[in-house]
Amino acid sequence: MFLELDRKDRQRIAAIDDSGRSLTYGDICDFSKEFAKYLPPRSLIFLLAENRIGSLLGYTASLSNRIVPLVISANTEEGLYGHLYDLYKPEYLWLPESKAEGKEVVFSAWEYCLVKTGNQATPMYEELSLLLPTSGSTGSPKLVRHSYRNIEANADNVRRLFKLDGTEKAMAILPMHYTMGLSVIASHLLAGATLLLSGRSLLDKGFWAMLKESTSFTGVPYSYEILTKMRFTRMDLPSLKVITQGGGKLTEAMWNTLAQYAKDNDKQFIATYGQSECTARMAYLPAELALDKVCSIGIAEPGGQLSIIDDNGNETFEGEAQGEMVYRGENVTLGYATCREDLLKGDENHGVIHTGDLARRDADGCYFIIGRLKRFLKIYGLRIGLDEVERMIKTEYKTDCYCKGDDEKLIVLVTDTKLLELLPSFIEEKTHLFHQRVEVQVVKEILRNEAGKVINQ
Amino acid sequence: MTNLEKLNQIFCEVYSVEESALNENFVNTNVETWDSIHQLSMVAAIEEAFDLMMDAEDILEMTSYENVKQLLTSKYEITF
Repeated sequence: MFLELDRKDRQRIAAIDDSGRSLTYGDICDFSKEFAKYLPPRSLIFLLAENRIGSLLGYTASLSNRIVPLVISANTEEGLYGHLYDLYKPEYLWLPESKAEGKEVVFSAWEYCLVKTGNQATPMYEELSLLLPTSGSTGSPKLVRHSYRNIEANADNVRRLFKLDGTEKAMAILPMHYTMGLSVIASHLLAGATLLLSGRSLLDKGFWAMLKESTSFTGVPYSYEILTKMRFTRMDLPSLKVITQGGGKLTEAMWNTLAQYAKDNDKQFIATYGQSECTARMAYLPAELALDKVCSIGIAEPGGQLSIIDDNGNETFEGEAQGEMVYRGENVTLGYATCREDLLKGDENHGVIHTGDLARRDADGCYFIIGRLKRFLKIYGLRIGLDEVERMIKTEYKTDCYCKGDDEKLIVLVTDTKLLELLPSFIEEKTHLFHQRVEVQVVKEILRNEAGKVINQ
Repeated sequence: MTNLEKLNQIFCEVYSVEESALNENFVNTNVETWDSIHQLSMVAAIEEAFDLMMDAEDILEMTSYENVKQLLTSKYEITF
């Protein structure tokens, strides 16, 4: 069974959510059998995710029964949802009760409903297990295609790097539709541990009550901004053993705060690096190096291999080097899908991925990310595709524009002063990026060179 | 600017709403954009505008427009 779920102690608690209810490993197995009565293997299902038990069960039951879920946020903007629906035509939906009104519900449990859409089945590659959007937010219908082996390899790599066992209680606050969120879930289920599944805001009292019980916390840089604002480093959190981070770069100041906190309080701070193209995690910095290798992503996770291809095209695996970082491992996904027919495609990556990140490797073999070749930003852990934002603006306002920025701020160049006020809220509505992180600049003209590359950067 | 005007301006800017929306129904569970990112940005703006530092447990209590006003009055002596 998926993640050997049927080989755990049936009585052990697999998850507790915000409702306070809990789920055992036995419940997960029983639910999978029940679920299989209502839909055949190799069905395509849209899983409208929230961080709670009903949503989790839809995931484990689909994967256990070779049903293929596309996991998206239950709060996905309507336009994007409609676009994905029209493009991929799922046969089933697994969604919160509150969103099932007026639909043909064939089964329901834990405030989640299974809906039959009437769409026809579509042939899919036999190893295809899971689909995730490349950037949950910017309206791209581009999906990452995962194999069964990808998910298991990632879960096992993460289990090994954190030395997870059944005694863990992992704070799982990253959204389920987010590759890192699913990685936390899969790795802890494989280990037979307990997930503290929460959809709450980090500024909710309930979250802090749960955190007191947990043995590990996984966050993105912004999670740690909130935690430090709440002065968590002064709190008494005796159960908490590991704090870990992914989803973008921490500032040096934040890094040092966390590394020092961990050292002073007998905890471990483990920074990680990953991409959805590689089923989340790819590299980690061992806790004992946290104070020496500031802001380093460390080394390849167990089961993976990192290398650098320099400007001359030479690939090296050790020694000092700088260039594009390349990763090899069983968690490298199959490739992308941009339409329904692509679900039939096999493995296009063959276990190797060019990350699009520029990295430096020091003499000790530790990697540092120093830039990005691909055009996207990561703000609050949200991946903001610049081309996609430009396309949205051009479609909506029929105007030229250019997007740039860093992981603090998205900057949009436009020629029309009217857009100065309109764009921040438009972008927030479409991408959920907080409007105060959008800066609109009016320029006379967006200058392009002969190749079409924008030159007034 | 009065204290109320200052506070209302912060709410309007952070949550992208008109002043008329600020009433007893302006509660985190009703306001779609009220997540931790917006709340923390609101806290930062309030701290700056009123020149104060809020306690962590107070930040957790700031779950509605009315709550924020009450809290600022009772704990930080800001009157509206």
